[in-house]
Amino acid sequence: MLKKNAIEVRDLVKVFGDIRALDGLSFQVREREIYGLIGPNGAGKTTALRIIATLIKPTSGSAEVFGFDVVKDSSQIRKIISYLPEEAGAYKNLSGQEYLEFMANFYSKSREAAKAMVEEAAEISGLGERLKDKVKTYSKGMSRRLLIARALMTKPRLAILDEPTSGLDVVHAFHVRRIIKEYVREHGVTVLLSSHNMLEVEFLCDRVSLVNEGKILGEGSPQEIKSRYNAENLEEAFMEATKLG
Amino acid sequence: MVSGLGNLVIKEVKEMLRDPKILIGMVLMPLIIFPVMGAAMNISQTAVEESLKEVSLALMDLDHGPMAENLILSFKALNVTLVEIEGTDVSEALNRLQGSNVTTLVVIPQGFSQNLTSGLKGELEVYSLINSLSFSEGAKSSVANAPINAYENLLVYRTIKEAFPDRAPETVLDPISLRNVIVFRGTIIEAPPEALMGLFMSQSFGFPMVIMLMLISAMQVAATSISIEKEEKTLETLLTLPIGRLSILTGKLAGSVVVAVAGAVAALIGINYYTTSIFSSVPTEELDLSALGLTLSPISYILLGVMMFVTIVSALALAICVATFSENVRSAQSLVGPLNILIVIPSLILMFADVEILPFPIQVIMYIIPYTHSIIAAKAAFVGDYFTMLRSIAYLSIFTAVILYIAAKIFTTERIVTARVSFRRFRKKTFSPK
Repeated sequence: MLKKNAIEVRDLVKVFGDIRALDGLSFQVREREIYGLIGPNGAGKTTALRIIATLIKPTSGSAEVFGFDVVKDSSQIRKIISYLPEEAGAYKNLSGQEYLEFMANFYSKSREAAKAMVEEAAEISGLGERLKDKVKTYSKGMSRRLLIARALMTKPRLAILDEPTSGLDVVHAFHVRRIIKEYVREHGVTVLLSSHNMLEVEFLCDRVSLVNEGKILGEGSPQEIKSRYNAENLEEAFMEATKLG
Repeated sequence: MVSGLGNLVIKEVKEMLRDPKILIGMVLMPLIIFPVMGAAMNISQTAVEESLKEVSLALMDLDHGPMAENLILSFKALNVTLVEIEGTDVSEALNRLQGSNVTTLVVIPQGFSQNLTSGLKGELEVYSLINSLSFSEGAKSSVANAPINAYENLLVYRTIKEAFPDRAPETVLDPISLRNVIVFRGTIIEAPPEALMGLFMSQSFGFPMVIMLMLISAMQVAATSISIEKEEKTLETLLTLPIGRLSILTGKLAGSVVVAVAGAVAALIGINYYTTSIFSSVPTEELDLSALGLTLSPISYILLGVMMFVTIVSALALAICVATFSENVRSAQSLVGPLNILIVIPSLILMFADVEILPFPIQVIMYIIPYTHSIIAAKAAFVGDYFTMLRSIAYLSIFTAVILYIAAKIFTTERIVTARVSFRRFRKKTFSPK
């Protein structure tokens, strides 16, 4: 029997006024896979992630998450996903611990379950005693680690991560990438992420899509894409695919 | 463990009350600033009173007649510190008095006694030496008035007594005696209308002021609660949590109500302290309001509570709707600012007039503005006019339902994420897709 895809996106179109942000985007993500959307600014990556996270609705086309339609079954989808926006912040007047507790309460049915979730997040973030401090005292890297921990502590069936290491220095970016890779393998979470960072994508993703102007130009494992475009790395492959080089 | 909605409300209250701008601006400032203002007024009042005790009055008697002597005795009887000046040159006397603690020079010209005993007007010259434009200087300069008036009354009584030895002077001076009766909605009580002044003040100024303060602060809180989610980039995460969008809206409304009520209570405590500080020296006439039926009945209390609840919810929902189009807290405050007109205009107008006495077009506008009905209902509560209260509550409820429907629409569609107003071009636009 064929395994059902975690995500099925078909001919997705999204129009904002005069701008056609998505122009017939289609791709599938398999369960337990780390799948990356790569492309330049304005390619439509974030719009696609927002539609799959049920934040906005498509103009036409369809998207399903584990068989649930993003428009009709949005409340079902919200129970099984975790979305980390690119520029996400945390409530700065709460402590890191309070923020995690606030989030855990939405996903757990008992106090014990919520506590376990927060403990898990504390371990993922590696913030230790700093979790007792208010979020406004955190550096950008610490905030991002807190947010990644928040996104993964619920053990979602699908984690949608928009530029997970955006704006982080080498050390924090390395830590965040390691968290994602280890956690996903350990708990069988499916991940859909977007990134500008081709090295990151090569390190993390099982398969990637090259996105430009709301369309997919090519799809496959990083190795397949590099071979297809006879490129040394994904950056070269992307330039070749878009003929921008 | 707290449920989804309770979880949201606790977060809202924590987040807002820990925000120094809200905590200091809305809760602590009214608690500090009003009592400080009251204390400052009290200090200056006390200073004026103290300085008046040190006031001296100079007197130059050029008449030396019996009536002038009596006038001087009248001054002394009232314990006024009197500096008697010899000589006849008024300008020289005034020059000498400059820089001293004497603020008034009374000159009794020659012929003062002669005129009074001949049935003519006796003339007095009163020179006020004013060095600055302040209340204390003004009060000091009028220090001669009381003894002069007392002496004048004495002369009047004496003249009446001589002319009408069989009559009490009061029956000549004040021949009509007034018996003041207030008839309020059929209830009769013997008291002058001024006795109701305190109540008129609280109705005319108190209620509109309280409602105005509470609504303006509630709108600011609600606008902040939604715009801070956008500014801190937490809204998108919140909207993808497994909780209904309407629960998020309800959580924001409930959290804002808690914070707004805290702010309103702080403002009321502060204002109460301020007014009692200022008016502590003003005597008030006691009147049994319950005899006139001017106390709140339990039904009035309940209806007043319902009215306040509906009013606050509509104001919060209105602020949330408008703040949805903002990108940050500052732009939310700018967008919500014009809505204050809906509160300030009826409050100010109804402080001075009832709607019925306004020109018809203004009446129509006033009745359309929902918050006019909040003030009308509050006033009606005191006189037990349940029909007016219910009518106002009905109008406010319809308005609230419409605003809540719009807020719910905004929250349940993608407008909550995409809508924003650009102040540069002032047109609605959507975000740039990535």
